[in-house]
Amino acid sequence: MTDLTNSTYAIDVQNLTVGYGSNVLMQNLNFTVNNGEIFIILGGSGCGKSSLLKNLFGLYQPLGGDVLIEGQNITTAQGAERQKIMTSFGVMYQQGALFGSMNLLDNVTLFMEEYTDLTQDQMDLLARCKLDLVGLLPYESYMPSEISGGMQKRAAIARAMALDPKILFLDEPSAGLDPITSADLDSTIQDLSKNLGITFVIVSHELASIYAIADKVIMLDKDAKGIIAEGDPKVLRDTSQDPRVHQFFNRIMSKDAA
Amino acid sequence: MDASNAKVALNGVINVYSLGGVWTQIQASQNAWLKHNSNQTLTFDASQVSFFDGAGVAFLIGLEEAQQKAGGKFNLVGLDPRYQPLLKEFDPINNLFPVPAIKPKRSFIVSTGMAAQNLIDDAKGLISFTGHLALDLFWSLRHPGQVRWGDFVNTAVEAGIAALPIVGLVSFLIGVILSFQAAIGMAQFGAVSFVGPLAALGIVREMGPLITAILLAGRSSAAFAAEIGTMTVNSEVDALVSGGLSPMRFLVVPRVLAGILVAPILTLFADIVSVIASMLTMQIYGIPFINFYNGMLAAVNVEDIGSGLIKATLFGVVVSAMGCLRGMQTGTGAAAVGISATRAVVSSIVMIVVVDGIFAFISYKTGF
Repeated sequence: MTDLTNSTYAIDVQNLTVGYGSNVLMQNLNFTVNNGEIFIILGGSGCGKSSLLKNLFGLYQPLGGDVLIEGQNITTAQGAERQKIMTSFGVMYQQGALFGSMNLLDNVTLFMEEYTDLTQDQMDLLARCKLDLVGLLPYESYMPSEISGGMQKRAAIARAMALDPKILFLDEPSAGLDPITSADLDSTIQDLSKNLGITFVIVSHELASIYAIADKVIMLDKDAKGIIAEGDPKVLRDTSQDPRVHQFFNRIMSKDAA
Repeated sequence: MDASNAKVALNGVINVYSLGGVWTQIQASQNAWLKHNSNQTLTFDASQVSFFDGAGVAFLIGLEEAQQKAGGKFNLVGLDPRYQPLLKEFDPINNLFPVPAIKPKRSFIVSTGMAAQNLIDDAKGLISFTGHLALDLFWSLRHPGQVRWGDFVNTAVEAGIAALPIVGLVSFLIGVILSFQAAIGMAQFGAVSFVGPLAALGIVREMGPLITAILLAGRSSAAFAAEIGTMTVNSEVDALVSGGLSPMRFLVVPRVLAGILVAPILTLFADIVSVIASMLTMQIYGIPFINFYNGMLAAVNVEDIGSGLIKATLFGVVVSAMGCLRGMQTGTGAAAVGISATRAVVSSIVMIVVVDGIFAFISYKTGF
């Protein structure tokens, strides 16, 4: 496979501490995401998965440590350098975060208008391809408020892919989707990863989807303030001795675990 | 390119950045070529392409579609097999080129009718809101224990105490300007000593309540509309309704009660500051405080102050109610909240003028 990046890892996290002010959620996280990998972040509600994600793509400044995206340190980058790193990835937020005053097509073309020299027709065609990938082609002229929550999420994925970034950060992409759409989305993610070498960093709870697509997962824990398991999800499910990991993968209620 | 067979080759990286400009050039030469060679085959040679992504796919689809439309064929050679599944995602490509929908133009009569209908709907909404509000205010009198007094206090502090500096500043300046303007005119008749009573009467009956109401409209009415509007957008208002709580009682009543309390107090404050400003200004014209004071006492009686405060109370109701109404009428999305806040201020000011007019008519007829 042609590897255009000269760094070994798509993302390299070194001694990262995540939190807000004096409230530390995660301490000294160290992990790497390989190029073209589908990497899933797991953990119970409120353990800081979304916060970690926002630290990874530079929206929040970490309390400590570094995040290297394709070898470049996003935590220290400023100005044009930072801008360049920011355009190398796409982000889908948990709630979609589509621009409410624009229809779906315009939501997808917005970033192309800013960063490329394509004509309107070319951008429209590109945006339609993205919307087709997430099954929303017939809704291109709808406003975000006119479609369902699940559709908004899919449109947000299309927008995240607008510039064909090498890394996509998805915050709970399949939550709220029906099983068929969710499976379609999984297969789209796999195709993109396999054929384009796009790296995916996904926060997810959907076990079926995790088993189907993940190359590697990390599991975070609120009390341990760090990673409690790392590796292939199927292997973890079958072999992990850690009761918390076992409980998660086998959907055991907390009161039955002890 | 020749008559029967055209070939396009690109090398290197094909992505959304590198296609800018190149795509347009290729499109232009393809269209020029197709004009004379409509049934021919266009070949794209991708053997030198080192990287290819979703933008590249869209580019190839664009070329293929142009060929199809002209009745020609498109042939793709040399593309790395790992990119093939990407192209298959979009089969058939015709779906990506929808026929642009033509929006039917509305005739003048239709749009006039729709505008009239909107006006009628708006008036209906206002009337039914007024009715509901009156009922719920009456309810709050009978069940004072159930009113959300915490919200009432917060709103009263935010709309009242926090508004003191701006109300003070504006009413001081209005007092100065009013007195100066009046003094310039009166000086021609040697009647400068009458400026005090004139300004004081104008301030107490008209300017004080009006300034306060307009400032309340700009500050608090917009704030109510934005707050309740955001709650509407976030389905928080729906959550109240489905939980069996009345948004009128829960959100509107405490705010309107706060408006009723705050507006006359702020008006009284504005009256005092304005009169003091007027007094200071008249010092410049050589009118001592005591003369101003005595002149004012002769011209302004308690009824005048009372009339101004009653009017201010009505303004308080109107301004806070319009803010709440526009907030409840918010549509969806972030822009809708902005529209609601704007509409709240505009409607508040219109209603202030209407109420002021009605009040002027009544006091003219009754002499109050």
